[in-house]
Order: sequence, then structure tokens, then C-alpha cells
Amino acid sequence: MKEDLLDIVCCPLDKSELELEAIRRDEGEILEGRLVCTECSEEYPIEDGIPNLLPPDMREESAA
Amino acid sequence: MGILENKARARLFYKYFSNLYDTVNPFIWNEEMRDQALAWFDVDAGDRVLDVGCGTGFATEGLLQHTDEVHGLDQSDGQLSKAFAKFGKQGDVRFYRGDAERLPFQTNSVDALWSSGSIEYWPNPVDALEEFRRVTRPGGTVLVVGPDYPDSTLFQKLADAIMLFYDEAEADRMFAAAGFETFEHHIQQRKPGTPRAITTVATVPESEETEPARDPVTNP
Repeated sequence: MKEDLLDIVCCPLDKSELELEAIRRDEGEILEGRLVCTECSEEYPIEDGIPNLLPPDMREESAA
Repeated sequence: MGILENKARARLFYKYFSNLYDTVNPFIWNEEMRDQALAWFDVDAGDRVLDVGCGTGFATEGLLQHTDEVHGLDQSDGQLSKAFAKFGKQGDVRFYRGDAERLPFQTNSVDALWSSGSIEYWPNPVDALEEFRRVTRPGGTVLVVGPDYPDSTLFQKLADAIMLFYDEAEADRMFAAAGFETFEHHIQQRKPGTPRAITTVATVPESEETEPARDPVTNP
């Protein structure tokens, strides 16, 4: 994902802003990292460039 | 509502369903019907559009003919992988995994919202429609395509077992309950005797009501 998408995404649970913790970048794309809710601290993974913003109760199988 | 009320089951269902989705899908919803709906949707070039339940990207392709900024959201990895194959993971379309009923987008963050062939799987469609109203700017268009309640017994059985099918009266009820005031329904059909789609085109009301945070999921 591109960093400027932080302007439109939010935490699916409380709709608060998300903070980016980038682990791997490539040409302006964040390929691996985390989006962390500034309110509830829930972490949403960025996997192969795709933010996984499923609420935690729907996310379990994506770890595989 | 049927067995997909359980989200874990829904995910399993999509996982297998995605393998035949583009084969089954044109049966109800083909390119011609999609393009008709795109004309009703009427987005301008440059509009930011969110495609909820973009699945394998059938509608996404059509949306790209109207605007450059399309964001696709789907809960299913299996469905999305087909879309990635078409558009790339870091191409023109930006993809997200997420839940239609708890959208990970800020209030008034998109100009228009499209969702086709997805509502029939949502456990609580009104919750999703409320979310659509929230993330789309006032005056923006929300377009939802779902399956009309079928005439044939076979499809009625399928409908009652696993999916939500609805007629115009039920669509009226759901959109009104979600806070929409202006909307119209179009019945679309490939040819007589085939399953019908019901396409609702709604305008997000200007009135800025107090936005309660969507009720967070109760702790498991």
C-alpha cells in the first residue's frame, strides 16, 4: 500500500486513525508492516502490500 | 437469513465458491447489465470509488473505464487473488481485506461506493448499508446490486438456505433503516426466465447527523 492511503483508512472497530509501522518498503510501496490503531492499539498487518483490515475476529486464518 | 450468518462458515464458503465464481456470476449478472448499472452510477473521472466485495474484480474492470481511482475491498483472500491476477497487487487499483459491515475507511472518504454481488452474503445488510452511507460523502452515490427474490422453486430453496434475496419492498426497508432518503431500484434481467438482479441507486443525504461510532464487536 501507499503511505498516503493513511488519509482514508481507519480502524474498522472504532474508526480512529491508524499509524504506520513499515517493515519493508519498495519504491513508495509498503510491502510489509503494520497499521496500528491510535485509539485501541489493535494491529492490522500489511501482507505483501495488501493491508488486512479485517476485524480481529475475522482474521484468524490469514496467519497461515 | 441462512447459514452464512456465521462468518467463519461464510469465509469457508467463499474460499471454495471463488473457484467457480466468474463462471456462475454471468448467469445472473453479465457485462451488459454491469454497464447499464455503471451508467446509473454516473461517476466522474477522478472520483474516488470504493468497490465493496470486489471479489474477482468483474465490476472493478468496469469502474476503471469511468475513473482512475478505484479501491477494492473484499473479505476473502481466495476472491481477491483472482483480482490481483487481473490488476496486480500494487497496480492502479488499491486492494484491502476488510468487512463490509465494519469498513476500515474514514467518514466521507470516498465520492461514490459500488457493491455488486455481495449483499446476499452479509449477515446484517443494514449494518453494511449504514457503513456505506458513512464513508461516502454527502451527495455521493451508493449503488448496490443484489439478487431479486427468485420465481423458480430451485432458486428459492437456495435463496432461503444460504443467501439473502430481497424484493423492492425489502430493499426499501433496508435502505431506509440505514438512513438513506433518496433511492430507486431497478430490476435487471439477462433475459426472461433467468434470475433477476435488483440494483439500488441511492444518494447519501446531506444532513450531518451525529455519527455514533459503529458498535464495536463485543469481546469474544
